[in-house]
Amino acid sequence: MAKNTSSSAFRKIDVDQYNEDNYREEEQAELQSAPVGPDEAEITALMNQGRHIDALKTVLRNAPLGSKNQQIKDNALNLTLRVLLAIKASQIEEAVGALDRDLVDVLMKYVYRGFESPSEGSSGHLLLWHEKAYVVGGVGSIMRVLSDTKRA
Amino acid sequence: MAERHSFGVNPITCHAWNRDRTQVALSPNNHEVHIYQRADNDWKLVDVLNQHDLRVTGIDWAPKTNRIVTCAVDRNAYVWTQGDDGKWKPTLVLLRINRAATCVKWSPLENKFAVGSGARLISVCYFESENDWWVSKHIKKPIHSTITSIDWHPNNVLLVAGSADFKVRVFSAFIKDIEEMPQPSPWGMKMSLGQLLAEFPNSSGGGGWVHSVAFSGDGNRVCWVGHDSSVSVADATSQMAVSKLRTEFLPFLSCVWVGPSSLVAAGHSCCPMLYSINESGQLYLNCKLDVSQKKEAGGLSAMRKFQSLDRQARIETSDTTLETVHQNAITCLCLYKGGKGSASSVSTSGLDGQLVIWDLQVVVIVVVQVPLIFVTVSLLPTYTSYAK
Amino acid sequence: MAANPLQPYLNAIRRTLEAALCIRNFPSEDVERHNKPEIEVQDSTNNLIGKPLIISRSPLERTLIESSINSVRISVKIKQVDDVDAVITKMYMRFLTQRADQFRILRRKPIEGYTISFLITSIHCEEMILSKLIDWIIQFMYDIDKELSDMKITLSKRARVVAEEYMKQLL
Repeated sequence: MAKNTSSSAFRKIDVDQYNEDNYREEEQAELQSAPVGPDEAEITALMNQGRHIDALKTVLRNAPLGSKNQQIKDNALNLTLRVLLAIKASQIEEAVGALDRDLVDVLMKYVYRGFESPSEGSSGHLLLWHEKAYVVGGVGSIMRVLSDTKRA
Repeated sequence: MAERHSFGVNPITCHAWNRDRTQVALSPNNHEVHIYQRADNDWKLVDVLNQHDLRVTGIDWAPKTNRIVTCAVDRNAYVWTQGDDGKWKPTLVLLRINRAATCVKWSPLENKFAVGSGARLISVCYFESENDWWVSKHIKKPIHSTITSIDWHPNNVLLVAGSADFKVRVFSAFIKDIEEMPQPSPWGMKMSLGQLLAEFPNSSGGGGWVHSVAFSGDGNRVCWVGHDSSVSVADATSQMAVSKLRTEFLPFLSCVWVGPSSLVAAGHSCCPMLYSINESGQLYLNCKLDVSQKKEAGGLSAMRKFQSLDRQARIETSDTTLETVHQNAITCLCLYKGGKGSASSVSTSGLDGQLVIWDLQVVVIVVVQVPLIFVTVSLLPTYTSYAK
Repeated sequence: MAANPLQPYLNAIRRTLEAALCIRNFPSEDVERHNKPEIEVQDSTNNLIGKPLIISRSPLERTLIESSINSVRISVKIKQVDDVDAVITKMYMRFLTQRADQFRILRRKPIEGYTISFLITSIHCEEMILSKLIDWIIQFMYDIDKELSDMKITLSKRARVVAEEYMKQLL
């Protein structure tokens, strides 16, 4: 006789996870060297020179979306948000206009990430970014935020 | 330019035409398949195929042999043949799957058909005359999620499948019992059943369920649409190069080739669009098929707009109708006139219960784009006879 | 027309909803002959779930939109500055969730950390006009904001009258 018949823990075992046909995220070896994210010193230098739009382009182009390292992703997020919040409301339209379509998709990913950790005043500013990025990228860029597995 | 036909308020899950386009089989989002006969601009219900016990997910009508195959969430497929009295008789097909069947397609020679399923596999079915039944063989590896869409290569052997695991795959569906070894194609030489010949991820960003796939008329290209609102084309004759267009629209659910280098895609944005490929192999938006404008009800609209603004203090007006012909997502797209290489009209059906037939010639003639000129020319004779 | 201060927030939500509500009828991969909202049955495989999106207006006010291949869950956190807000919101949501059947898309229990949740499945999208559904949610969020602040004003008005009457006795 089994000793502990009142235990129901076995009912909670997710047996489906052992199905070998299940979808698994690919453990593909990073093709090139793992992305290291944007260079903070470079961005800071650009910002200090007042070249905010160049800083934005650089930070988005080097976004470590495919990285598995949470630390690198967080650093990139903080840096990107710093750039986004430093650009004045009146400049946003111009800044978005200077980006190509792929970078608008990346921008949208960071805008949504920014909403996740709101600080005083940041959300209002990000809502403006959202508005302008939507005008350029259309609803398609929101679809990419939803569906891409390489996330900001 | 667009002929609209309404079949009630229920969504139309999918539809399929007979050879001379006088009859259409469609499922009103339940377990039945309705067959309508066209009488001028009216439709007469001639038969109801009532054998499935859950929602029908796929219908295909073989033009030459005049057989209908249907599949459903109840894990079954039926092949329907027409008796002398004009009524359709079902034959059960043993798919040997334990999840819903999701899509079905006859092969070009109509001697076999393929069924995609939620059981993460494809059943390739053929008729075994000794036993007088349909048997199925499985293609399993390396599919990791539900098959959402399948299409046959014109050589009757290769199969392309789109899946919810973000991948498009080309398989061999060669059944050595019933057919000769095919000629090698640019997709590869190995032909045993289930051989994976090519695999494309939907996007470099990872993710995005593949909603629909299609082989081009010559079989050298594959196009697909994904949930990241993209349209992609892979070309086997140029080292499997992929051209991908990320659109600003809502995602597409269905795509078909309508010319050697042009395709129509339709989906959640309710408007079918014509995409073409230029000489360097890049996709671009050729034009929207739906050019309808919102109907303005005379001078009333301004007043109504003010009323609505007043009431809701919002910018949007509370008008229910969309600007497009279709009022909800388009889920199914079929060729109506012509083949994959030179189609002159396509039909769409969707969640709004409408079936719409779109004339491509008018569009093509209005928007003369260089890559499309030969389509126009080759279609001109049919167009004139059609206009009469 | 004076711009509504809520407008940018609601615009962002509306656009995100338009994207998230691109859902299709999708039979379950786990259980045969079933059709379940995938967003509610998240298990070891996650390829049918989209990235959850948050839109925030301030640290106190945000909307969570979780999408999957056949269903979307929308959770709203309503601004509650003080205890009075919290009590009013709680009572009001209790009133609504008890009548969830009439609302069709209302979830009986909100997601942890949010005030109220909606669950929209592909069946709802087949039965209802999608643009109207989105309109309704946006309208709901707009109204609830107004209603709650109205209630708060009424409540303090009433409390004031009560207090005044009570104080009169002491005079």
